[in-house]
Amino acid sequence: MARFLSRRGFLITGAALGGTALVAAVGGVGYLATVDVDGLHGHLDGERAALNAFLVIQSDGRVVVNVPRTEMGQGIHTGLAMVVAEELDIPFDDRITVEFPTEAHPAYSVWFNMLQIRPEEASGPVVWVGRRVLGQLGFIATGASGSTMGMWHPMRVAGASARHMLLAAAAARLDVPAAELATADGFIRHVSSGQRLSYGELAREAALLPPPDRPALKPVSEWRIIGRSQPRVDLPAKVRGEPVFGMDIALPDMVHAAIRHAPVFGAKVGRVVNEAEVLAAPGVRDVAVIEGQKVAVVAASWWQAEQAAWLLEIEWTKTDADGVSSTEMSARLGSALASTTPYEHVDEGDTGSVIANASTVVEADYTVPFLPHACMEPINATVFVRDDLTAEAWVSSQSPMAVRQGVARGAGLAGVEPTSVTCNITMNGGAFGRRSDQDVVAEAAFLAARHRGRPVKLIWSREEDIARGLFRSHAAARMRAALGPDGLPVAYDALVATQSVIDSVASRNLPVNPGPDGDRISVEGLDKLHYAVPNRRIRSQHVPSHMPIHFWRSNGFSFNTFFTESFIDECALAAKADPLAYRRALLRDSPRHLAVLNRVAELAKWGTPMAPGRGRGIAIEECYRSVVAQVAEVTVAADGEVRVDRVFCAIDAGLVINPDAVIAQMEGGISFGVTTALMSAISLDAGAVVESNFHDFPMQRLANAPAIEVAIVDSGLPPGGAGEPGIVPVAGAIANAIHAATGRRIRSLPLAVTETVDERRTRTVLPPVPT
Amino acid sequence: MVELVVNGKPLSVDAEVDKPLLWVLREDLGLLGPKYGCGIAQCGACRVLVDGKSTPSCMTPVGSIAGASVVTVEGLAQPAGMLSVVQQAWIDEQVPQCGFCQPGFIVATTALLEATPRPTDAEIDEAITNICRCGTYPRIRRAIHRAADMLAER
Repeated sequence: MARFLSRRGFLITGAALGGTALVAAVGGVGYLATVDVDGLHGHLDGERAALNAFLVIQSDGRVVVNVPRTEMGQGIHTGLAMVVAEELDIPFDDRITVEFPTEAHPAYSVWFNMLQIRPEEASGPVVWVGRRVLGQLGFIATGASGSTMGMWHPMRVAGASARHMLLAAAAARLDVPAAELATADGFIRHVSSGQRLSYGELAREAALLPPPDRPALKPVSEWRIIGRSQPRVDLPAKVRGEPVFGMDIALPDMVHAAIRHAPVFGAKVGRVVNEAEVLAAPGVRDVAVIEGQKVAVVAASWWQAEQAAWLLEIEWTKTDADGVSSTEMSARLGSALASTTPYEHVDEGDTGSVIANASTVVEADYTVPFLPHACMEPINATVFVRDDLTAEAWVSSQSPMAVRQGVARGAGLAGVEPTSVTCNITMNGGAFGRRSDQDVVAEAAFLAARHRGRPVKLIWSREEDIARGLFRSHAAARMRAALGPDGLPVAYDALVATQSVIDSVASRNLPVNPGPDGDRISVEGLDKLHYAVPNRRIRSQHVPSHMPIHFWRSNGFSFNTFFTESFIDECALAAKADPLAYRRALLRDSPRHLAVLNRVAELAKWGTPMAPGRGRGIAIEECYRSVVAQVAEVTVAADGEVRVDRVFCAIDAGLVINPDAVIAQMEGGISFGVTTALMSAISLDAGAVVESNFHDFPMQRLANAPAIEVAIVDSGLPPGGAGEPGIVPVAGAIANAIHAATGRRIRSLPLAVTETVDERRTRTVLPPVPT
Repeated sequence: MVELVVNGKPLSVDAEVDKPLLWVLREDLGLLGPKYGCGIAQCGACRVLVDGKSTPSCMTPVGSIAGASVVTVEGLAQPAGMLSVVQQAWIDEQVPQCGFCQPGFIVATTALLEATPRPTDAEIDEAITNICRCGTYPRIRRAIHRAADMLAER
């Protein structure tokens, strides 16, 4: 079984094995056969007629679509509701609302991501067992750009199934054959008699009918919603400023908490020196040490709690990391690149000896820093533990499973079981991987168990988020290639040194740890399998540190694609080839990639002359079953100021449900990537993170945001991901553009130094040329 | 007690005078549209209009604006619920992604267009300094121009 699981799948599996559900899952095939993996059976729930696990039709005809994936800005609620509306044959308008279901139905699980299979292609005994086991264990999470590719087919079937149940109900009511009925705009019409019934009238009868065995799906030629941009269902509330985020939860009798984590990760609370003083501060009810590692203040309002938390004087225990600085961290990456025992992920051909005997070898080292997620909505959770030890949580989270585990971890000693937790997933104010962790939920639950009978809302300050939270790992790579007589690589050797995210996540959250070796995430984007190179070696060296590492938008791709696409440009330069032509030659056997590359080149008018001080750079990657290529245009002024003027992007994300949402994700990913490439770095001094807020961890603003043009390439393939691909090629494209503009090759991120212009504005300037 | 007019309603707030306006709005008045994003007037998610001026409420002690008129994002739509021109432009351009920062952008844009009905790109860059982590900037720029066009047609 395990070999069918992705690494991320293994993690999640491990998490559940730590729970209590395994016993239930191994109860035999007979038991598994009873698991409702498709969620197609209907039921009545008071006034609501649920035609299946994914949709409810109210008597007034309004439709509630249950989307068991977190809306964090990517537009997934809209996209999956579009799929349901298409098959249900209703207009996509404001009669549709979307809810994140509180129930942990097996049909909502991410089994397809974990088994790395598309639901529409799923078959065979392993899949049969796997999806039932995984479904039963409540693996519900949003990430890995996987929601559309995983859910579009099941929800399409759910829409079609409901439509057939409505037709069957109408046929019975009118006593006519179903074949004589037609659906349109939420009504069923008997074609010859003109009799008409609304979905709302029929829903209660339809909900009690058996679902059809294999409902016919609407032919693609009849699609009127899928593939045509639709307005996002969540935007009206968002522009009105309605309280849709976790941070906005307001409940009767609620108390508020602020928190302080150790400045050096791993330090424990030795002593709260001035507990009495803090307890005496206005509104304060409690000062609590959580897991021996953090101190929370609970007060009548968050402002009071945060003010009191600033007063806290905490003695932290010494740790081995107390002396660690950024210089020391860089040195560790450097020595890891000299490792004689890295983990070998790919070894095709005879890379070592081909390079040793080659006449032209290109070699380069690259580095990137640690990064926080910096979601605009600071990290928070609200948990309510009732006197009967049932609990309810309201969290802007990527995973109700993580929320349940977090509540159990924080309030488990008080007797709260994960199965007695009601989980409400709110809108997320950005997530980027950060909100898949259970840390803040466990903290809030710990406090809620101490303040039973009152909901506790815990908010981390921005300073806690930037400096004391979770990070994307730093990384370095040593790249080598041997070029053949035609200038193309005949051997490609890539070694990345980084801290394994799997190792760190598992060590924080799971009873089992698969360990850092073979962590696929470390080498995502490093193998460049689409480039035709006969000899290839891909290796990674885990570099442990005290820093807690977490999933971060595009994970390994966020650094490896910068390494590899910079390096390919260096190879092109050594071969005196145009970077586009060079990539075309490398992609000669990959028509899908070539189409995307050519599209972006066309969009950017590659090859047209540019003024002095300006330059263009290109990069491409395959990730999340999509192929994305970008061209960045930069201007470097005489004083070194670098501006990214425009970014062109072509994406083949397979079948696109909502084109405008994919365009928005490319725009957003590019912005995120430009910030990362030019501005973002976390540094360490005496073991602690130096940066603390947006004054010293600068972010892109309107004044330095590039213009962006996006083209969607249609390959006819099924859906790929869109949430992460947009960020992936950006840094490489910009580094290549800076080289084109200046002849300077910058091999570490950020590519520039951020200078302050005034209180809220910055400019990015190339670092001085090293002497 | 601090006297304020909030979204057109005169009221008095029983809060310490040094409590930031943001937390008075969110905690004492239940207006959750203005967001906490940084607490140091960097990100702009907390922006509200104070006597018509776009103001970071997280760094504005409530006592310092006694008697002022405060408008939050909740106060921009017409009483009948119709969106303001800026809010409508935000929908028309499908601006928000996660949406957390957008109330601040919408408020800042409302103030900008009041002072500068047809802003140039440079004037927009100068005036709108909020942070959006999702990267909706290209659409924000389009929405500001669209709102300016809509206001000019009135």
